[in-house]
Amino acid sequence: MAQMTITLAVPSKGRLEELTRDWFARRGLTITRPGGARSYLGAIEGLPEVTVRFFPASEIARELIRGNIDLGVTGRDLIHETSEAGPDAVEFARDLEFGHADVVIAVPEAWIDVTHMHDLADVASDFRSRHGRWLRIATKYITITRQHFASAGIAEYRIVESLGATEAAPASGVADIVVDITSTGSTLAANGLRVLEDGVMLKSEANLIVSRTAQWTEQRRETLNALLGQLQG
Amino acid sequence: MTNAAYRRSQLESLVEAQGGCRATPPLLLSAGPYFDLAGEEFGRRLLLTTDVTGAEYCLRPDFTLPIVADYIANGAGEPAAFSYLGPIFRQRETGPAEFDQAGIELLAQPDGDIALDQVLTFARAALSLYGITPNVRLGGVGLFEALLAQADMPDAWRPRIRHRFGHTEAMDRLLSRLEQAPDLPRTEQPSRDELVEDVTARMVSAGLSLSEGRSPEEIADRYLEQQALDAAHVPAATLKLLRDFLAIKGDALTALREVEALADKHRLFLGPPMKAIRRHLDGLGEARITFDASFSPRLDYYTGIVFEMRGQGGTVLVSGGQYDRLLERLGATAPIAASGCALWVDRMEAEWPK
Repeated sequence: MAQMTITLAVPSKGRLEELTRDWFARRGLTITRPGGARSYLGAIEGLPEVTVRFFPASEIARELIRGNIDLGVTGRDLIHETSEAGPDAVEFARDLEFGHADVVIAVPEAWIDVTHMHDLADVASDFRSRHGRWLRIATKYITITRQHFASAGIAEYRIVESLGATEAAPASGVADIVVDITSTGSTLAANGLRVLEDGVMLKSEANLIVSRTAQWTEQRRETLNALLGQLQG
Repeated sequence: MTNAAYRRSQLESLVEAQGGCRATPPLLLSAGPYFDLAGEEFGRRLLLTTDVTGAEYCLRPDFTLPIVADYIANGAGEPAAFSYLGPIFRQRETGPAEFDQAGIELLAQPDGDIALDQVLTFARAALSLYGITPNVRLGGVGLFEALLAQADMPDAWRPRIRHRFGHTEAMDRLLSRLEQAPDLPRTEQPSRDELVEDVTARMVSAGLSLSEGRSPEEIADRYLEQQALDAAHVPAATLKLLRDFLAIKGDALTALREVEALADKHRLFLGPPMKAIRRHLDGLGEARITFDASFSPRLDYYTGIVFEMRGQGGTVLVSGGQYDRLLERLGATAPIAASGCALWVDRMEAEWPK
């Protein structure tokens, strides 16, 4: 029995937990949480070989990449952000069709001369000689920003780590531009920020993700396939 | 006797024999200067830690920066030579790692070409201790800058193209964009005053400081410049020249002849940088030398000639060149000639035939 058990990680609170449990329920699988909201252990009714654990979404991403849990529900953005090696360490098995949001680059609306990444490359390249410091980007998406800017050929900038209200960073003088996550862009617009025309770095959504780095025996693989078989479309 | 410890001690003697000062910068360094000099791209390779105030420190990721910073702090200007051998620390995809690195830094030398010869000789001598005849890859930063200065195009495009030198994809994207530039009918531009007023109003309403970062004047000027740029096409012949030039790569003598043919065809005067490259070919002896016109590190303080030396497996064992703009970037008040190289000792040892 133990050799065929797999671990499914589910976001531990809020809207994400609710939507995940709804998604499973619509496919005939009821996720139970016997201890209530303060318990971190659960189960799927009728599937004793699946252990359910409740984790914060960012920890699910980390543990999937490390292979400490076998599959889990979290945002695609968190897999990309947690580690450069993240996307290669997992398989995106099912788009859960909620939690849609884009990681975007936004500049002050007043920067009428900057509409594309190549404009930003030009501005960044002589920012330091004009202002005595680097162009500053506020974001919580450090890994994604570094990767994207490297491939765009932009090296002349500094990241200012921002763990909340990133959209306020230009007005408060903490940074010049932002990399932020948005579903409608309205928060950015309300703060006088405009997304570059080619400024979508990543399209994200809640996804059921399988770890490639977990220890997959033939028996556990069978359990996984049976579970995924029940979770079509 | 030829074991690893013996080769290491031979290398140690070679480093000591460089006639300069043996530099031993601390292992724990302030991270700020690295981010300032090389940006986030290099920053992601640092092993970072913080003090109680949140200030960032890193384990020494290279020798050049602390050596040069120390030289400037002690009053730059006098010719100086430094050599080093010791551990550096970098993040790799597989995790943090410690490497041995050796190298030399020649600063404010009266003749930059002689200094580079000395750097190349040191690198060759070190490789020969490990039985390695390297493949040398040369790049000409000075050559590209000379070509760019003479090529027929609106001036505003030159820094934009220079900025992308060394990043093949970014350069390709820019050239493709220029090749496809449509001949749009120009709409009437608002005046600079109107633009400044408009941008100022937008910044004020968004609560942006008018003086802290980009100013309304800077934005308006760049907007107008950009409109002018869209109208100011780079001639198709110039774009072809750049494409043809950047594609030149191969056996050094053949490649340099191709550069000369191209220069003749476009009536460019590339004599001095070509002569500089040729004179170093002689000093490299039996090594296999290739010249790659598009090769440059992505850091804009490199000048003149840059090089890499690779072993049989194709891994880079030595990289270096001339970086006359580095000292100014680190706070020197006047340009100071600099050249040097860094050797990856562990990779050299791995080349030793088993």
